[in-house]
Amino acid sequence: MSDGLDFEFLIDTFFVALSGVPIALLITVVSLLIALPLGFLLALTRINKIPVLNRFAQVYVSFVRGTPVIVQIFIIYNSVPLLLSSIFKEYGININVYEINPIWYAFIVFSLNTTAILIEVFRSSISTVSKGQLEAAQSVGLTNVQAFRRIIIPQTLVVALPNICTATVNLIKATSLGYALSLHEITLRAQVAANASYNYVEAYLDIFIVYLIICSLVEYLFKVYEKRLTKYKSAAA
Amino acid sequence: MLEIKDIRKSFGKNEILKGVDLKIDKGDVVVILGPSGSGKTTLLRCINFLEKADSGSALFGETEVNLGSASKKQIYQIRKKIAFVFQNYNLFNNKTALENVTEGLIIGRKVPKNDAIEIGKKALDKVGLSEKYDAYPSELSGGQQQRVGIARAVALNPDIILFDEPTSALDPELVGEVLEVMKNIAKEGTTMLVVTHEMSFAKDVANRVIFMDGGVVVEEGTPQEIFVTPKEERTQKFLKRVLPEDYTFYI
Repeated sequence: MSDGLDFEFLIDTFFVALSGVPIALLITVVSLLIALPLGFLLALTRINKIPVLNRFAQVYVSFVRGTPVIVQIFIIYNSVPLLLSSIFKEYGININVYEINPIWYAFIVFSLNTTAILIEVFRSSISTVSKGQLEAAQSVGLTNVQAFRRIIIPQTLVVALPNICTATVNLIKATSLGYALSLHEITLRAQVAANASYNYVEAYLDIFIVYLIICSLVEYLFKVYEKRLTKYKSAAA
Repeated sequence: MLEIKDIRKSFGKNEILKGVDLKIDKGDVVVILGPSGSGKTTLLRCINFLEKADSGSALFGETEVNLGSASKKQIYQIRKKIAFVFQNYNLFNNKTALENVTEGLIIGRKVPKNDAIEIGKKALDKVGLSEKYDAYPSELSGGQQQRVGIARAVALNPDIILFDEPTSALDPELVGEVLEVMKNIAKEGTTMLVVTHEMSFAKDVANRVIFMDGGVVVEEGTPQEIFVTPKEERTQKFLKRVLPEDYTFYI
């Protein structure tokens, strides 16, 4: 170990860490694609107090929010293979569960997690759109689905967007826990590089910077999108 | 053209409509008066299925539907013949004035977009908002918003327009412009069912006035009959309360 920062290592490892970005983003995008519609639908069951589902969503949210993500990862990562292998054995399917790419577990954990967060985000934002908007849409002959797609959801999104942005950024950061699944994402790659030479400070600095860059970029994109969506509100100002 | 029979509606134990009958002919301008809580608004909302009645039937032209158990398809069918103007305007906040008017035409009634825009512009011209096609509701005054609301209803070319206290949420100085627009479309022969507290509108524009109280129709007749020679005591008391002593209709 040398004195001071090893700049060459710092720069080399930066690109090593950067090469983990696609996996981190893939997990983020897949999780959001699953969690956004699911969270929205479950939020509706909460608002409309649909018997069983409402209760389910409520319990689900408190379970997910009340436990650390890392523990959720351990539980899914260890229990799903057991479950699958017993199912596969039962039906004589010849797949080795221990050869499944760990990214699938990441998809499961992070979608489940983000869904819970988005249920709450949508629940509060949907209730800001007055019931009169739906009634007006019905009165001019729109079906409920059309009313939601064209009137309610666009207005809901405007209110929800800052919170969706926060959820997305949190999700990106949480993918760093993928190292527990031996996923070769940003954190694990830099860590492995550091293991060889004990340059941990440089490696962690790199990780720090990479997350900072992606998260800032994502926040910027959200801001641009928000500005476009709120056109109808800012018009008055 | 529209005949409602024995419509009933309760909210919990509170019976709001206790069997109301209503008959409206083409070209009628019917005003419903009554103290608050008398069920006027609920009656209107039940006709359009914004509220589901407990029982009752509606004969719409030749279509008869059970107001308590209509199918989704029937509801859409009926709604296509009715337009609704809300007390709080309920303009689509994320749409411009013109888009508010064309939304129901393009999406609800599958009118080709270009035709819809033409109809929409004409409707907005009619309510005096030619300059505001592209304004969002947040940029419009209450009176202007309600005029867009009326244009949205007129553009659908419905068999009847229901008005639910269209001027109650407006600042007093904005009431006039909305009433003016309503008078104009009444003159064109539009069939209207109006819940309002504007006695002058009832007197000048309606050809029939209905007085409701406690969930039933107490009295109905021409404006002359209701305002000048009311028969029922409840009607007389109500009018005494809402009309100043020395009120004359010709101010």
